Amino acid sequence: MSDLQSGNFRRVQPLMVTDVATIPAEPPDDILYTHRVKLRDSVRILWDHREIVYTLAERDFRAQYKQATLGIMWAVLSPVATLAIFVVVFSRVKSFGTQGLPAPLYFFVGIMCWSFFASSLGTGGTSLLTNKALLAKTQFPRECFPLETMLVNGLSTVISFVPLALLFVIFGRAPRIATVWVPLLMLIEVMFAAGLTMAISSLIIQMRDLQQVLPIIISLGIFMTPVIWPFSKIPSHFHVAGGTLVNGHWVGGFALNLQIIYGFINPLGPVIANVRQTMLLGGHPLWGPLAAAIVGSVCYLIFGYKIFKRFEVNFADIA
Amino acid sequence: MPTLPDGSIVVEQVWKKFRSDKTVPLFYEQMARLRRNLVDRSTPDYRWVLKDVNFEVAPGESLALIGINGSGKTTLLKILAQVTYQSAGRCAVKGRIGALLSVTSGLHPDLSGRENIFLYGAVLGMSRNDIRRKFDTIVEFAELADAIDRQVKFYSMGMQMRLGFSIAAFLEPDVLLVDEVLAVGDASFQQKCLARIGEIVRNGTTLLYVSHDLASVEASCDRAVWLSDAVVRAAGPTKDVVTMYRTAVEKNSTLLNTKQGVVEVKKAEIRAVDGGMLRSECEVEVRLVLNAPEEQMATFFVGISQGTAFPMFVIDHTGTMPGGDFEVICRMGYLPLPKGHFSLWSAITGHPKGKKDPYLPWQPLISFEAFGPDRMEPPEGVMALSPVYVGADWKVG
Repeated sequence: MSDLQSGNFRRVQPLMVTDVATIPAEPPDDILYTHRVKLRDSVRILWDHREIVYTLAERDFRAQYKQATLGIMWAVLSPVATLAIFVVVFSRVKSFGTQGLPAPLYFFVGIMCWSFFASSLGTGGTSLLTNKALLAKTQFPRECFPLETMLVNGLSTVISFVPLALLFVIFGRAPRIATVWVPLLMLIEVMFAAGLTMAISSLIIQMRDLQQVLPIIISLGIFMTPVIWPFSKIPSHFHVAGGTLVNGHWVGGFALNLQIIYGFINPLGPVIANVRQTMLLGGHPLWGPLAAAIVGSVCYLIFGYKIFKRFEVNFADIA
Repeated sequence: MPTLPDGSIVVEQVWKKFRSDKTVPLFYEQMARLRRNLVDRSTPDYRWVLKDVNFEVAPGESLALIGINGSGKTTLLKILAQVTYQSAGRCAVKGRIGALLSVTSGLHPDLSGRENIFLYGAVLGMSRNDIRRKFDTIVEFAELADAIDRQVKFYSMGMQMRLGFSIAAFLEPDVLLVDEVLAVGDASFQQKCLARIGEIVRNGTTLLYVSHDLASVEASCDRAVWLSDAVVRAAGPTKDVVTMYRTAVEKNSTLLNTKQGVVEVKKAEIRAVDGGMLRSECEVEVRLVLNAPEEQMATFFVGISQGTAFPMFVIDHTGTMPGGDFEVICRMGYLPLPKGHFSLWSAITGHPKGKKDPYLPWQPLISFEAFGPDRMEPPEGVMALSPVYVGADWKVG
């Protein structure tokens, strides 16, 4: 028990000189420090520090458009520019189809979902590196950095609802009642992106090579996600073994629902598909992939956060 | 530890290791470690920067960490601030921590001073309302009223530091950790910072203070811990620890090779002319026994310093330096030193001073103790006692 606890702490302590020879070369094993943080505790601490996330996001958002003549207009202009490129390039590719929807509207929804995810991963993945100075000198939950960049990207995404509304007006359409599903879909995307961003940022700071690899993976990702091709291209009934072939179709036997598996691995797929399905087409969500996406994104979030917390013990030392 | 009151610090058997070579990518290092573990276990791939550190600080107390560069002071502070984690042992800091490890690292160059106050304040743990309430005080303290809406990248270094310190100065935490940040701005602002820290401590905040400026350590801390080579060498009342530390630092500097120049120092001493102790105001004599290879015109310098290499005074004499063994005697009618520990420095240069190397480079030769009357504690706002002794007759009334 320490003097402080026992209450006999003397204010004036005598001079104590250490005999350096008595100090062992290594600490005894029983006092080694292991960094174990309960997920529930870290969430609580993070919540206590939420103002820092807002403030850092505000910092980045303000700094991003400072000294730019068009300022915040760029948050609207850059997704519109991407859209223009997509429309010009992919509206010629008829084979994919746009489920009977105007191509700009169809693409823009995909682009919005994708660009939030991609920019979260891109800027959030390197956020620990870009905030090195703060990381090594100040004390608050480290996950504030990736989450803060996600908040900034979220804000840009919210702003791009303005061009989306314009597209609705231009094509004489209105969002369907089924749009009420969209907040849930956004939540799935945020969980997925947050988990992956935290995991990747904690890996990048330890292995800087990943910093170079990440943009390549992101630019590949757009083709592996149903942004330009419809989700329905993924077979929901993929025959594996058994059964009989009737008129070129397998009947019976063992088949896999690849949409479910895909949705679990990449929850962004069902998210984009369902945003189109509900907001644009007014149908009910694709239940199977939706459920898979929910389970998948929760897994991503929990394991991503765990990985981040596991590695954070080193951050300040290697930053 | 539920029984600890807010503002107390307990450090128990804290150890910290660093990777020995930070430039090697972690992946290669892991591979190398694997190989080492399998093949050769003799050379460790890390070094200890803190070894078995123990101390306690009670609420409202102020403790200084002193030691040379690389002795582990900042690492210890970072562990207490929970910026990094110890490798072994346990440490607990109760209450709200205000960690001032760097003055400007939290400032964003593209934002205005106003925006930065909110940013850095939040980063340091202040709530928005807190900052809003203290905003005017902070700006006034930083003396930046005219520049507050300018982007910080257009600030001078001094202005940035003033802004950074001022934000942190109004944190009002239970425990304040300060790392060598007072070397900011000009002398008058430094004074203001020290006074502000004193005010915070008097209001009941626990202070942990890292500095190389021993005068400010003595002025603002009750106790001190001396870290050397990752180990706590001594802990206790500031005066005793600082004295030990000074002695050790000086012992090192006196061990300088005295054969750097062509002139060899055989003996150096300082003594009172009447044969007694070295006292303030007594008549003293500096005697150097030297050996020079040939006769030359030369200038002799003798100086006295307290602790650091910066001398309090230097006196000189130009004349012919004989070849072979010879003696230099410098008699001062009045020793202008207060009670304390001092070093005697000397140098001999050619005359006229050309581009030649000095015959004897400027270096400390011996250290000595001067005796004199005890002085009162310095008044508020004075960092240290006067470095020179001034005899005076006082009449009040």
